[in-house]
Amino acid sequence: MATAIVSGEALRASEAIGEADIVVGIPSFNNARTIAHVTAAACAGLAKYFPHLRSVIINSDGGSTDGTPEAVLSARLEDARLLLLATPLSGVHRLSFPYHGIPGKGSAFRLIFQMAARLNAKACAVVDSDLRSITPEWFDLLLRPILGAGFDFVAPYYHRHKYDGTITNSIVYPLTRALYGLRVRQPIGGEFGVSQRLIARYLERDDWDTDVARYGIDIWMTTIAIAEGYRVCQSFLGAKLHDAKDPGSDLSAMLHQVVGSVFLLMEEYQDVWMGRAESRPADLFGFRFDVGLDPVEVNLERMLTAFRHGCEDLAEVWSLALAPPTHEAIRELARGAGAFHMDDALWARVVMDFACAHRQRRIGRGHLLRSLTPLYLARVASFVIETRSMVSAEVEDRIEQLCQCFENDKPYLESRWARRSKS
Amino acid sequence: MIETMRQVLQDVLGQLKHQITTYLPPLLAALIILSGAYLAAVVARWALQRIFKGVAFDRFLRRSGLAFMIDGTGRLRATRLVAQTAYWLILLAGFLTGLSVFNTDITTQMIQSFVLVLPKLAVAGLILLAGFWLSQYLGRSALVWSVNEDIPHPRRVAGAARLLIMFVAVVAAADHLNFARSVFLAAFIILIGGLAVTVSLALGLGGRDAVRRYFQEKAQRDEDSAPRSLWNHL
Repeated sequence: MATAIVSGEALRASEAIGEADIVVGIPSFNNARTIAHVTAAACAGLAKYFPHLRSVIINSDGGSTDGTPEAVLSARLEDARLLLLATPLSGVHRLSFPYHGIPGKGSAFRLIFQMAARLNAKACAVVDSDLRSITPEWFDLLLRPILGAGFDFVAPYYHRHKYDGTITNSIVYPLTRALYGLRVRQPIGGEFGVSQRLIARYLERDDWDTDVARYGIDIWMTTIAIAEGYRVCQSFLGAKLHDAKDPGSDLSAMLHQVVGSVFLLMEEYQDVWMGRAESRPADLFGFRFDVGLDPVEVNLERMLTAFRHGCEDLAEVWSLALAPPTHEAIRELARGAGAFHMDDALWARVVMDFACAHRQRRIGRGHLLRSLTPLYLARVASFVIETRSMVSAEVEDRIEQLCQCFENDKPYLESRWARRSKS
Repeated sequence: MIETMRQVLQDVLGQLKHQITTYLPPLLAALIILSGAYLAAVVARWALQRIFKGVAFDRFLRRSGLAFMIDGTGRLRATRLVAQTAYWLILLAGFLTGLSVFNTDITTQMIQSFVLVLPKLAVAGLILLAGFWLSQYLGRSALVWSVNEDIPHPRRVAGAARLLIMFVAVVAAADHLNFARSVFLAAFIILIGGLAVTVSLALGLGGRDAVRRYFQEKAQRDEDSAPRSLWNHL
């Protein structure tokens, strides 16, 4: 069971409320600019779609210094009332208090889930606080499948720019889908709906204080839901537009945390994914429509230079991480003249080799995961070159091809993984 | 003349006989002890390989990276390590016992010195091993970081980090063994002092503009492209 991190302030608040049917959690950190909009959307969504249910909105703030909690509390209810004149807002409470424990999204989620469990909530939705495209409908789409159709986990499904979310598109989605056999398009989307019984399962676990409590929380939740056989679906939420943020975060740290979490979960659930072949689509709720998206700038030359430098300098690390044929193919790619192209099969092998090396601890895991950066940039550059003139639907087909490649090559992963078990 | 030669030969044979009767039995005894020790070592190694599991130790070796550092294939196992250690320790004990049979001043002195120095040698060995492990680990950290941060000459940066840490480990080991202490210490101080002066001069004089330009360009690069492209990966 996870250690309770509910503070006295939160306890008093939950006791005052008593019980609730729905909890909406909004983790935040320095999101004063957008959080009022997100909170207002939540208020409106709950009032419009679940007026008969008791709802609580919880903002779990990670110690913002830009007045985020004040922005939540000052989110003007009048505006919400103006938006929903016919629907009373009674029953919608808003709480705002900093969460404790290690600073990260995972700690915020833990607090939200513990509060949801205390309030005996039947469903909980969590949304990022930097969203610009969130609407009241999102809460209906995230909560209705749980309350009305008996699902346990609702993952988001967005329209995104073809170059947006490349870690998702090139690593997390293809690998998760190939491993666990369910096509959840945005496994690290950031917005989720969770049932009461799945919340109880999350809270039972004792790995809240690990790396999973940082960037890994999204894939952690999704993987547990899929691997442990909970009912999982997706809801189409439209476009995901969020505040440009985290300029200080670096890509290698991001890869370390996200991909490291996927690899750690692979070890935990190896009995589930070993031998599981092919994949099936997850149920999709919501009405799909096309939306305009923010353009994404890509610096191709910088990516390719990073890859070539990496190939020259990281040979000692890659020789431990990659199987010899894969390493040779990468060297060949770096040497090659003409149009740059990293094919799907090679990329799938790279990811699978890294997963096996991670498990075997051939080198420090931090070194291993961070050394993936130049290879990942090469893959992104290749993808950008290849899809430059493609429209969204064509790009989606390309991603589907990549996923098929991961699925077809899964026996390679299984054989290497099993070999490691024996040695 | 013949009598003298006969006398000399008798003396030589007598000395030879004396030496044979003095040293051959201990030599044979030493050989028997060494053979026994060898047999005991082989048996101990065989038995340990079958009895000792050392799962937790295996995990430590794997997780610390020592398994790959000592054996490039990463197949080093606690069982093998413990069995080999026991094998060599028994052989060493056999050798020392064999030497003690001679009971001469030199052998006694050798054994005493060895027994006294052995713990120190073991500690010095551990210091070197730890230094080697740390140098590999931090060297690799420096390498990966330099590549990802686009620092010029990452391999040289990593090599310098490794060399420095290994040098510190050698100084510490030599200090522990009381071996050429002042030489190593002086070399260490000269190296660190030299490094500090070199870096200060390079930054303060020759490389001032270059460093400023590098950081300006880096800041500009980060400003231009990093925030957008980095955040959008997720």
